[in-house]
Amino acid sequence: MSVLINKNTKVIVQGITGGMGRTHTALMKKYGTNIVGGVTPGKGGTEQDGVPVFDSVSEAVAKTGANCSVIFVPPYLCLDAALEAIDAGLPLISVITEGLPPQDAVKLHAAAKLKGTLVNGPNCPGIITPGECLIGIHPGSIYMPGRVGLISRSGTLTYEIGLGLKQSGIGISTAVGIGGDPIIGIDQIVSLDLFEKDKDTDLIILVGEIGGTAEEDAADYIKVNIKKPVIGYIAGRTAPAGKRMGHAGAIISGNKGTAESKTKAFTNAGVRVAMTPSEIVELVKAHIPATV
Amino acid sequence: MRLREYEAKELFREAGIATPKGIVIKYAEEIFGVENFPCTLKTQVLTGGRGKAGGIKFADNADDAYQKAQDIFKLPIKGDLPVAILVEPKVVIKKEIYTAILIDRAYRGPIIMASSEGGVEIESSENIQIVPIPGGNYNPYLGRKMATKLGLSGKDVIKYGNIVNRLWDVYTKYDCDLCEINPLIVDGDDNFVALDGKIVINEDALDRQPRFDGMLGEHLTDLGEREFRGKMCGLNIVELEGNIGILCNGAGLTMATMDLVFHHGGKPSNFLDVGGGASKSHVARALDLVSSDKNVKVLLVNILGGITDCVEVANALKYYKETRPEANLVVRLVGNNEEAAQQIMNQAGIPMTNVLDEAVKKAVAVAA
Repeated sequence: MSVLINKNTKVIVQGITGGMGRTHTALMKKYGTNIVGGVTPGKGGTEQDGVPVFDSVSEAVAKTGANCSVIFVPPYLCLDAALEAIDAGLPLISVITEGLPPQDAVKLHAAAKLKGTLVNGPNCPGIITPGECLIGIHPGSIYMPGRVGLISRSGTLTYEIGLGLKQSGIGISTAVGIGGDPIIGIDQIVSLDLFEKDKDTDLIILVGEIGGTAEEDAADYIKVNIKKPVIGYIAGRTAPAGKRMGHAGAIISGNKGTAESKTKAFTNAGVRVAMTPSEIVELVKAHIPATV
Repeated sequence: MRLREYEAKELFREAGIATPKGIVIKYAEEIFGVENFPCTLKTQVLTGGRGKAGGIKFADNADDAYQKAQDIFKLPIKGDLPVAILVEPKVVIKKEIYTAILIDRAYRGPIIMASSEGGVEIESSENIQIVPIPGGNYNPYLGRKMATKLGLSGKDVIKYGNIVNRLWDVYTKYDCDLCEINPLIVDGDDNFVALDGKIVINEDALDRQPRFDGMLGEHLTDLGEREFRGKMCGLNIVELEGNIGILCNGAGLTMATMDLVFHHGGKPSNFLDVGGGASKSHVARALDLVSSDKNVKVLLVNILGGITDCVEVANALKYYKETRPEANLVVRLVGNNEEAAQQIMNQAGIPMTNVLDEAVKKAVAVAA
């Protein structure tokens, strides 16, 4: 078991014939993801990497039985692509695209909420259940299968932690890269809830960063609802206020969004907070024996 | 991208929001074309607090205005010299209101934010009213709802509602992060007039907003030298005050690396996220940018290649080392194509580690 995706997930790639789409379709297939189709309007009937390409999402779903879409289209086409996937009734979509204008993000998430669609991202590395399914751009070989759930706003920092865990013989159940934008779909709380219910996850790592109040909200949620141990980390504790640190959402505005406030909230909720990425691995080791 | 007041007001007028009938002058002498006195002279800069800093003055006649215009043109506000002065007739103010439309992060959608205490810093107002816009679908009743919350009644509800309707048009048409009127005044004839305005255009949306083509460079504020150059060539850099130059990929990992440098007793000179899938030339540009600060004693490069090819990074580092043999480089390179990158680094004589803590400690030691 795992959360969100597993070996039975049937994936379509929107934007499969674009640069990013082509590259990552090949990598996802190589990893073992069951890619059943791709969508590029106007290129229906062709093939990409042995995968049939369709003109529309609804056609792809009808012909392949897909239950998940991963979106690699340019920012200004992204809203349209995501709305098409939501309309086609897919329960889970992952939006990898970075640079989606915020007003488009609002429309996307409003539509998803109406239909009950789970949206991962935007501006995220996607999701990986090691050994079973990868959607997005995670480097698959960096993770090994195991029983730690990983939730993170960052891409490469997630890989750093996955790699550190693997080097210590610790694997993960699923890593959810929730994305670095101010407005995201599947957030910390949704992910925590999924891991809490997953019988194959023993411990949860929550990697946050400065900006917004999502970590504080997650801490409140953990206090009441999460029984499994949670290890936290906040990136950007030395960041200056008022500066956007790479991610659109990583900015301390006024006195909101500081690492101090998030660390305090975590500690109050019984979350052990690591000060460095390698300390995360040390804290996990104290809970979970290595599997190799 | 923040617009100057006169540019914001141009968008307001086009949308049907009244503003004082002003003229924009670029030279003090142009003041002699002004016919209506007394008038207000307002410096056109990108920073706030210009009134307190002496950037807004009143004049009773042309000679007075000419003198004051000359003074304002010479007066920098927080280091920013005006590109123009907006000259407007002085207006009668019966009431001042703050009104803005922006995205609220926690609500995950746009809100109308207003206060019956206009003209003040909104952060210090205790009278802030919020009306969320459900699902980002604006309807005119929302503007009227805010009017009622502000204590307006009768025809003023309609007039204020119309202002919010039009502000929403500007907000959506131009992909704004913020559309703010402060103050929105009720003048002597009971009309609602935008006396000052602030508009911030979302930078991710600029490429679909042809109206603002080529304007970004002249509308950036509070940026250091490297930050400005970085912005113009697509590199995400934040200046800090130390001597360890940081080049890293991914925002989270770059922040973590910056934090680690502090954790081990060093001081970063910058934050630079080179992004995903960077090419050799992109990385070379980033290396140049980081090291262009003369305080940088050592460059700490931390790359975890997912979509980034370590070979591209290694080639950029090799080139950098060839052109600047005296530079101190501490490199941590892992992931995609790591072995091939290792070979290039060996040939170039650049030591490399694959453990992050080690790399950071080494950089701190070199910089000490």
